[in-house]
Amino acid sequence: MPGRQSRRSVLAAVAALPLTGVLNACSDGAERSSSTSSTSKSRTTTITFWSALRGSKEVVDEFNKTHDRIKVVYQQIPSGDQGGYAKLSNAARAGNAPDVATIEYPQVPTFAIDGVARDITSLVSDGLRAKLLPQALGLTTFDKRVFAVPLDVEPMVMHYRTDLFEKYGLQLPRTWEEFEETAKKVRSKGGGRKLALFPTDGASSMAAFAWQAGGQWFDTSSGAWNVSMSDTPSRRAAAYWQRLYDQGLVFMNPLNTKQGDAQITNGQFLVRLTGAWEAGAQMRAQPGQKGKWKIAPLPQWDPAHPALGTQGGSTFAITKDCRHPEAAMEFIEWQVSSPDSLRARLTSGASSQYPAVPALVAPGRAAFDRSYYSGQDIYTLFDEEAHKIRDGWVWGPRMSATNSVLQDGFARVSAGQGSLTDALRAAQQGTMPDLKALGLSVSEHSK
Amino acid sequence: MTTTAPSATTAPAEKAAPAARPRSTRRGARRRELGAASVLMTPFFALLVTVFLIPVGTAVWLSFFSQDEPGLGFGPEHTVFVGLRSYAAVLTDPTFLGGLGTVALYCLIYIPLMVIGSLGLALLLDSGVVRLRSWAQLALFLPHAVPGIIAALIWLYLYTPGLSPIIELFAKGDITIDFLGVHTVLPAIVNISLWSNLGYNMVVFYAALQAVPREVIEASVVDGAGPVRSALQVKTPLVRPSIVMVAIFTLIWALQLFTEPKLLSLATPMISQRYSPSMYIYDAAFTRNNYGMAAAASVVLLVVTIALSYGVTRWTNRADSPEENAR
Repeated sequence: MPGRQSRRSVLAAVAALPLTGVLNACSDGAERSSSTSSTSKSRTTTITFWSALRGSKEVVDEFNKTHDRIKVVYQQIPSGDQGGYAKLSNAARAGNAPDVATIEYPQVPTFAIDGVARDITSLVSDGLRAKLLPQALGLTTFDKRVFAVPLDVEPMVMHYRTDLFEKYGLQLPRTWEEFEETAKKVRSKGGGRKLALFPTDGASSMAAFAWQAGGQWFDTSSGAWNVSMSDTPSRRAAAYWQRLYDQGLVFMNPLNTKQGDAQITNGQFLVRLTGAWEAGAQMRAQPGQKGKWKIAPLPQWDPAHPALGTQGGSTFAITKDCRHPEAAMEFIEWQVSSPDSLRARLTSGASSQYPAVPALVAPGRAAFDRSYYSGQDIYTLFDEEAHKIRDGWVWGPRMSATNSVLQDGFARVSAGQGSLTDALRAAQQGTMPDLKALGLSVSEHSK
Repeated sequence: MTTTAPSATTAPAEKAAPAARPRSTRRGARRRELGAASVLMTPFFALLVTVFLIPVGTAVWLSFFSQDEPGLGFGPEHTVFVGLRSYAAVLTDPTFLGGLGTVALYCLIYIPLMVIGSLGLALLLDSGVVRLRSWAQLALFLPHAVPGIIAALIWLYLYTPGLSPIIELFAKGDITIDFLGVHTVLPAIVNISLWSNLGYNMVVFYAALQAVPREVIEASVVDGAGPVRSALQVKTPLVRPSIVMVAIFTLIWALQLFTEPKLLSLATPMISQRYSPSMYIYDAAFTRNNYGMAAAASVVLLVVTIALSYGVTRWTNRADSPEENAR
C-alpha cells in the first residue's frame, strides 16, 4: 500500500514540475498588478516579499497586524535549489522581482554580482549594524558594501540520538579523533547502523567541515576572487571523511531523498551534522522521534582552539526592482531584530533558527518549545557555538554551480570512483571557467 | 538549437517555360512564375529567419558580449565586447569537454545500433518473413508517437529501484540490476532513444525498400540468391541514400541529447547537470546566469554539428563515387 502511494506521488510530482512553474508565473503577474493598484489607492506602502522559510507567513501576519503604513504581501516560493533562485533571477530579468527576497548566504554574492540584490550599505542603520553578529554581517558584505541583512546564522552542531547512544554505551565525541573511535564502536555493535552519513547532496556540509578546519575556498582580500577549494585544511577534512567511508564507518548517499528520510526514520545513523535550524525541521518531519534527540557541539580538531563553520542560514535582500527601499528595509529590520518576529516564527513549530541578532537569543529561548528535545536548552548551546564561528569565510560568486559540480564528484565517490579530494579539485576546475566568463578578476591557489 | 532546413523546397522553383511562345507572353509567364514562387516560398523564408537565423545571430552576438563589472564584480554593469573570452572559458571547462565526451560515446553506441536495428527490421518486414506486417509496423512505430518527455518518464519509472517491476522481477531471480548506476546510465539513455526512434527510421527504410524495383530482386532470386543474401547484397546497397540520411538525422538528433538525461537526473546523481552539451548550455543559462557562456557553448555545439554532418556527407559521397565509377 505505501509502495503504491509513493510510486504515484513520485510520478505525479515529476509530471507536475513544469506545470507548477507556469502557474506560479501566471499568478505572480496577477498579484503584482493588483498590489501596485492598491498602493496607489490607499496611502500604505505595499512591499512584496518572497520566501521559502518556515514560519514566514506567521511573521508577515504579525508584521501586518502591528504596522499601518506598510503592508507586506507574502508569497511562499520553492526553496532556492528547488527552483526558488531560478524564479528570482527570471523575475529580475523581466523587471518584476519582489521588493524583498530571501537569499541563503552562499548565493548572496551571485545575486549581488548579477545586480539583483541592491547595494544597501546606506540603508543599514548603525543601530542594526551594532545588533548583528559581526561574522554574519561579514558574510553579506563584499567590497565594503552590504548586499543583504542576515536573519539567522547557523553554527554546525551535532544532533544525536540519545536512546541509541545510551543503548551502545557511547560517550559524546568532543574531537574528530574521538568521533572516529565512536564510529568504530557503532560499526561493531550497531547491527547495520553507522554513526553518521556523509551526504552526497551536501556540498554545504563539506563547506562547513572545510570552514571549521581552517579552509578558505574563496578569498577577496587581494581585490580578485582567489579560489582554493583544495587547500590544506580542506584536504584534511576531505581525507578524514574519505577515511571514515573507506573503513565503512559512515554511509555515503544523498540525504534529501526517500532513502535519506528512511534512514532517519529507521535510525540508521546516530548523528546528524547540520546547522541549528535542523532542530525545527526535525520536529516537523519526525514527530514520532520526540524525546529521542538531543544536540551537542560539533567535534573539534583542536579543543583548545575551537572553530566552527555554518551550515544553512538566510538573509534578506532588497532587489533592484524595489520602489520603496526604505519601507522594505523597515520590514527587514523588524523581521531580523524584533522579538515579536522571532516569536511568531517559532510558534509555527517548525523553526529553531539561531538569530543573527544575539539580543534575540533570550526571547528565542523563552519561545522555543523544548519538549521535543527532552527539555534541553538548545538556544544556550547555539549561543555558545555561534561565537566559535571562524571569521573571514567568503562564499563564491557562483556557489550553486560550484556546489553542484562538487556534489557530482561526491556521487562518483559513493559509486567507487575517485576521492573526496578529487571532488574538491574537480569543483574548482569546474568553477574557474564560469568566473572567467563572467569577467571577474580571478586567481587560483591550492596549497 | 539547430534546425535542419528542408532544402528540397527550393528545388522546383525554376522550370523551363515553353519556348515557342511570343516574347511578351513569355516574359509575362516568367513574371507570374516568379510571383508564385515568391508567394509559395515566403513562409519558408519567414520561418527560417525567425526560428533559425535570428536565434543563431542572437546567440553569436551574446557570445561575444558580456555584462561586465571590473574586479570583484560588485560595481555597475557595462555591456562590453569580450571577443573570444566566453569561447575560451567554455573550451577550457572540463565539465563541458566531459559532456562532449559523453555525447561522443553516446553517438558511438547509439547510431550504429539505430541504423543497423531499424534497417534490419525493415528488411525483415520487406522480406515477408513477418506475419501481420501492418500490425508489426504499427507496434514498432507507436513509441515514436509518444513525446520524448513522456517516454523518458515511462522509462524513469521502469528504471527506478523500488518502483520498477522489472528490477523487482530480476530481484526475484536474485539478480540485482541498477539501471541508473555509474556505468549503466548511458546504456539506459541509449535504450530510451532506441525505443523512441527505431520505429520511425524503420518506416523510412521500409518506404525506401518499397521503391526498389521488383525485377532486380526477382533477378537476384533467379540467380540463386537466398533471402538473406538478397537483403544484404542487393536491397541494402540500393537504399544507401536512405541510410546516409537516417545516419545524419540521427547524428544531429543525438548531439542535442537533452530530454532523457535531464529527466533521469531527477532520479540519479550519476547524471550531473552538465551531463551533455545541451544540458551544459541549459545549466549555464538558467542556473549560472552566464548567458555569454551559454551562447558560446551553443555556437560550439552548432559548429560541431554542422562539421560532423558535413563530414559524414563528404565521406559517404567519396565512398559512393568509386563504386559508381566501377559500374
